[in-house]
Amino acid sequence: MEAGGWMRDTIDPDFASYVDARQGRWLRTATLVYGDRTRAEVQLLHAFSRLALVWERQDDPDVFVQRLLYQPALSRRRRLKAVPTDDTTLTALAALSAVQRTVFVLLYYEELTEFEIADLLSLSQPAVHGHGQTALSRFRSELGLGDWRNPAAQR
Amino acid sequence: MRREDVRPLLARAVQDLPDPDLADSAWASGLSVRRSRRRTGVVVTILVVLMLAVTSVVVAVNGPPFGLTPPEEVPSHPPGFVPPAGQIAGMDFWIAPRGGSEPYLNRMVTPIGGELDYPKDPAPLKEQPVEEIAAVVLARDGDTFRPLLLASTAGWSEVEVDLAAIATGAPLSAGSVAPTGRLVAFPQPGAVVVVDSTQALVRRITVPDRDVRSVSWLGDSAQLLVSGLRSTYRVSVEEATSTPIQASVDPAAATAPYRLDGVTGQVVLMRSTPRGWTADRPVELPVGSWAGQTFTSGNVAARVFVADELPQVETVASRPQVVAAISAVDSVPSRLLVLGETPPATPAPSGPQAPVAVRERDCCAVLGWYDSETVLFQVTGWILAWSLESGQVRRVAELEVPMVALGPGLRG
Repeated sequence: MEAGGWMRDTIDPDFASYVDARQGRWLRTATLVYGDRTRAEVQLLHAFSRLALVWERQDDPDVFVQRLLYQPALSRRRRLKAVPTDDTTLTALAALSAVQRTVFVLLYYEELTEFEIADLLSLSQPAVHGHGQTALSRFRSELGLGDWRNPAAQR
Repeated sequence: MRREDVRPLLARAVQDLPDPDLADSAWASGLSVRRSRRRTGVVVTILVVLMLAVTSVVVAVNGPPFGLTPPEEVPSHPPGFVPPAGQIAGMDFWIAPRGGSEPYLNRMVTPIGGELDYPKDPAPLKEQPVEEIAAVVLARDGDTFRPLLLASTAGWSEVEVDLAAIATGAPLSAGSVAPTGRLVAFPQPGAVVVVDSTQALVRRITVPDRDVRSVSWLGDSAQLLVSGLRSTYRVSVEEATSTPIQASVDPAAATAPYRLDGVTGQVVLMRSTPRGWTADRPVELPVGSWAGQTFTSGNVAARVFVADELPQVETVASRPQVVAAISAVDSVPSRLLVLGETPPATPAPSGPQAPVAVRERDCCAVLGWYDSETVLFQVTGWILAWSLESGQVRRVAELEVPMVALGPGLRG
């Protein structure tokens, strides 16, 4: 981007390096969140496009992109059912609600803290904690592993 | 399954996804959004400019839309104008807000604040002189009274002088503040006490008659009229001398430069002269008796009278009292404000019904002028202000003291 806020016609090398370093990981995370690779890629491209508009003004691009990437998964308008698949893990994830799935993936795959997730999704930390617990329990049940909170039921 | 087993499980589910190449397309998409926004901004700006241009052309050709036309004449009435209720003896009169409605009137902000009460810890006048007196109240100190001065800066100072009470134990008079706002005078038996508030000086000037009841300053703030039942004196404060002048039957009537005096058929506006008073003009007013002193601003003298008979304002249990602002010149109209009764909220099915509140005799008096257009007067429990220009009555302060004298410092 040039001085005065005008975008240059050719890609900024720093932006290209930034996107190259993160696109693979965030595409996988988004695929788990949305349950569909195509939808995840569209959302990720949208987030990077918005970042390109504010590239030199953005202090924390990671948070900026992740908010644009994951918050729509919680929106009622965009909340779509996960695409059916043969993969048991993806099938178990699809059984979770949108908010449970998003919190669960960010907590266990992206390994963010509850506070970071609360900040990204504009939820309270206790709400994130509750969704994480429920999601784990339901995920285990869907995989046929019983409720983790009941040791007698564990296999 | 433990928590730490979840991540490998999830990672396995998406491990075969190929890495995308989004950098170029994201930049190109951002560029496209930026261009689109810029185009939209330009179009909106052009549309707004066009609309403004078209509107100004239409207004220039057809005049203002919606039939709105700017007023051609300056409004003749001031803001808040209240039309008069009618005429009494050729003078416009207004009806004052009913007793009990005072807390709901518009407020005039003065150094007094919302309530005039005795201060808890006034400073001695020697330590805290008062440049301009806003109000004077008298606080009981054993069998005597101490004057407390409220400055225009809202600070209270106590004058170290003991004023004698009358036989009933009440103070003789609330005093009178000079037009400069720096002197205040109190009538005392056989004397007048003058306090210089800027220097904390107290001067006692004796007069030949012991029975003096009223003091009133002349416009020069150097002379006083001191009046009793049998005699009236012009007192020079500087020289501490008193000269007898034409006596008044009513001690409170002796005021300068004008005094309103006389009863129905003989009411007259009198002008002060070195030897007494001379009739300036007769006034056709149904006066039964006068209350308080006359206060003058410019050519308009104001005083409260109790009406003899007032067919224009019906009363059931009391005689209406009227604040009369009588002009000495033809170019300024005289005006009246009638202080009536408060009728019951629900009217009786037939015949007159006793009022909820009446303004009792001697409840009301003029206290002075806030400015050349606003008369300050006292009613039961309140100081009110009546604007002669607009006819509007506003509240100044609630009164928690029995009597008060006001000074020019009230303007702050």
